[in-house]
Formats: sequence, C-alpha cells, structure tokens
Amino acid sequence: MRRTIRGGRPYFFADPAIDKILNMVVVLASEVWTLRERLAAMEALQVRQGSLGAGDIDAYDFGPEDEARLAGERKEFIDGLFRVLQEQVEEAKARVARQPKPEAKAGLKGKPKSRPKAKAKAKAKAKAKTRARRR
Amino acid sequence: MLELKHELKLAKNRDEKARMNFVSGLRAHVLNDMATGMRAVWDADVEPAFRRARGRGPKDGPEVHKAIKPNEYFKFYSSLRVTAQDMVWQSVFPPLERNRPALKDKAAKLGRAGKARGSLTLDPALEVPRSVSAIDVHLMAGNYDGEYEEGDLAAGALYDNGLAVFSFGLMGQNLDDIGQSIAGFIKLKYPDLKPRRILDLGCTIGHNTGSWKDHFPEAEVTGIDVAAPCLRYAHARAEAQGRAVHFKQMDAQSLGFPDASFDVVFSSMFLHEVPRKGIEKIMAEAYRVLKPGGLMLHMELPPNSQLSPYDAFYLDWDGAYNNEPFYKPFRDCKPEELCWRAGFDPKKYLQFVIPSIGWYGEQVWREAATRPIGVDNDKTGRLTDGILWYCFGAFK
Repeated sequence: MRRTIRGGRPYFFADPAIDKILNMVVVLASEVWTLRERLAAMEALQVRQGSLGAGDIDAYDFGPEDEARLAGERKEFIDGLFRVLQEQVEEAKARVARQPKPEAKAGLKGKPKSRPKAKAKAKAKAKAKTRARRR
Repeated sequence: MLELKHELKLAKNRDEKARMNFVSGLRAHVLNDMATGMRAVWDADVEPAFRRARGRGPKDGPEVHKAIKPNEYFKFYSSLRVTAQDMVWQSVFPPLERNRPALKDKAAKLGRAGKARGSLTLDPALEVPRSVSAIDVHLMAGNYDGEYEEGDLAAGALYDNGLAVFSFGLMGQNLDDIGQSIAGFIKLKYPDLKPRRILDLGCTIGHNTGSWKDHFPEAEVTGIDVAAPCLRYAHARAEAQGRAVHFKQMDAQSLGFPDASFDVVFSSMFLHEVPRKGIEKIMAEAYRVLKPGGLMLHMELPPNSQLSPYDAFYLDWDGAYNNEPFYKPFRDCKPEELCWRAGFDPKKYLQFVIPSIGWYGEQVWREAATRPIGVDNDKTGRLTDGILWYCFGAFK
C-alpha cells in the first residue's frame, strides 16, 4: 500500500527542517513509549511467573539468531524514524519517473550539447525568482 | 486507544498497540490541551496585538488565521497536529498489510450469499469524482478509493482502524456516536416520522449508517458511496455487527433511485468533502428522492456564519492543512440557503446542535431533544472533550 501523502504535507516553521525534526522527535517518543509498554508487560509477566532474578538482564547476551533478528528490527526502527525524509526522495523519484525519457543519442547529433542544460538553468533561475517574490 | 468491537478488527502485536496508544494520546494532547493553550495565547498576545494595530477585533476566521500564523505556539500546534494525523495512518499500515489476506477471507465469509442480512451492489462503471480520486483526504495515503488488488477492502480497514486511533474515544465505542446521537434524537423529537426507507449518503464504511437500523429496526436502510473498497468493508462490517444494511456504489450527485422513494435522507461529515457545485446537485437529488413529508438531515461542521471569528478559524484549520480543499468553501455556505435553493420550503428548515450521547450520557442527550442548544459554542463540531454534533436539513 502507498504510505506517502499525495500533495505533500504542510510546513509551519520558517525552515521546514524544523517541522521535519519535530516529526522525528515525536516518532522517536512514540518508540520510547512503545518500549516502555513492552517492558511493563514483560516485567508484569515475569513477576507473575517468578522467573526473573535480580541482575539477570544485565548479565544476558543475545545469541546469534536473536542478534540477527534484532538487526532487522533495528533497521525498521531507523527507517521509520527518518521516513519523513524518505518522502522527499520518493517525490523526487516520482518526478523523474514522470519526465519523458531523453531521446536516443543519435537523434541529438549536431545539436550543441550545452543548450538544453543552459535553458533548464535559466528556467530554474526564473522559477526561483518568482518563488522569492511570492515570499 | 479504542479497540474495535467487531470481527474485522486487525490482530495487532504488543508494539503496534502501544504505538496506537501513543498516537491517540498525542492527538488528545494536541486537540484538548494544546488547543486550549493556543486559545490562551490568542487571548493574551495575538488578539490584543491585533486590536492595537487595527483599532478593532478580527472580523472573521481568515483574519484570525493571518494574525496567529506567525505565532510560535500556533506553529508547534499545527506541526504536531499534522505529525499526529500522519502517525494515525502510519500506525495502521503494518498490521493492516500483514492481515490483508485474512481480512479478505473474513469479509468473504461474512458477506456470503444466503447468509448475509444486508447486501452489496457495486457499479464498476461508476466514475469516481475527482474530489475523491485526486487527493488523499485527511492525509490518508490512498484515500477512500485506493485499490491495490481485485476485491480490495484495505482502504476501508485503514479508515476504520485509523478512526479508532484518531478519535481517542470521542466518536463512540463503535465509532458511531454521530449516528447513535442523531438517529436517536430524531426518533425522540419526531415520534410520528416512522420512516420505512432511510438513505445514508457518502457513508464510507457505514459506521454511522447502522445506527439508523438500530433506532428504526422496521426500516430498510441503504448506504451509498463512490468508493468500492470502503463499501466492501462496510458490508462485511455491518454483517459482523448483525445489522441488515444495503450498500450500493453510487454518486450522491446522481442517485439511481426513483423520485419520492425515501422517508429520510441523511449524511454525516460528507458535504464538506464535496465541491460547491456538487453539494448543490446532492441537495437537489435529496429533494427528488424524498417522499413528501420526508426529512433530509446532514450532520456537518457548523457554518462560519454562526461562529465567532476564533472558532471559525479553529475549525477551518483542517481546510488549510489537512488536505480538505472543500472544507472551508462548505463552511462558508449558508445551510438554509442550500436547502431552499434545492426546492425545500424555507419555513421547513431546521438545525440542531446535539450533545454526544457517549460523552454527555443519555440524560443530557434526552433533555436536548426538548430544548435547543445554540450553535456558537466552542464544543460545536470540535473533536474535543464535550463535543456537540451540528446538523441541518428540512422536511419536504
């Protein structure tokens, strides 16, 4: 299922980076809370079953299988934390995918190589100017 | 977090439940605590500064919005609200994607011909309006109509499970507080109405459609929507709850029902998702399919014309930042005008503000049916503690 919002998300601070960092902080807080709930469940269960001794957790090392599983989960955790940045990448990729494919090289023979680039640059400059004016 | 009470509820692990709990808590914090905080900042700083500069108070919502926009608290409120809104759906995706095959099987069993009490009629030829097909309303990726496989109902499940997280209990234990509060209120207020056929427009997953069947068990209740994945889910959901409701894929702007065929035409939280021209067509269609003496009733956000400038700004936040392009245009309409333009007699116009039965309890809610509550109240239409539902309509 697609998880990225069409039309993007609104930003409120002068620098959108602040909104993005705030998002990360909150996602992180969510994960911290999730851990606390899980730990609370675990403690409650173990106390009920009388199976946890003092210092057992500090002395414990994971086996290779558990290590590998945790590595996968850790990656998911980090991906989730920075998902807000990934959106930008997905948008950029979608934009590129929408652009028509460049003509075959043979068809460009004889045309000055720098022209299209220069044109694009001029266009971008003009766009930046309008954007600045709008602000 | 609210746990759904029916069979289609997604199986979630400990961490997924904790994430949902967190998002519900975050939403409650933003919409109760921070909303109160923002009002305090407005009263203490922003409004006085506005008065000093202009020699008067703001005259409408947009003036409040413009004045408060540079304020840091507003920025944190808004940025956190967008984050929380996004996290609602993000908290549902992982368990939903894992449960999709099982969900489809369950729905198929529930909707089996011969066993089902209600029905599902889809129209694959129906053209989904751009107001649905082109945007992700409420920042919900995929929107109501996103389909990823044949017979998909994931969008419906995303909405149901997301709404449970989103509403932090304020939309009732079955997400039907709107339907229960309003259908019951109408039964109390108009004991002679005795509807035999009831229609719910833009019903999505039918969470408020079933309430009409609860309060009027003799009636035939039909829900329509343009989004097939929501209707497939709605059908299974109603069956899981043991309610006989008929779901049809149809555009409310062009109903496939004969003239004078319904006693009640209802909608909830629907008109504000439709462009102005579409709303007018919907009203005209409602008028056409209503029997003489029948009731058209829309549960909606209260109109700006009946709210203070600050409350108008507060409710229009969604229009500006929650992918709701038709929200403010709708709220700028005069509901009574929409009714009489569609052919309803201005003398038969009505509007109510109904206390949430879940929040206030049955006694307050019953009392409300005997005496009206004013619209301009900072609880009207706001998803906050003490919410009041607004609705308007007319008898034909």
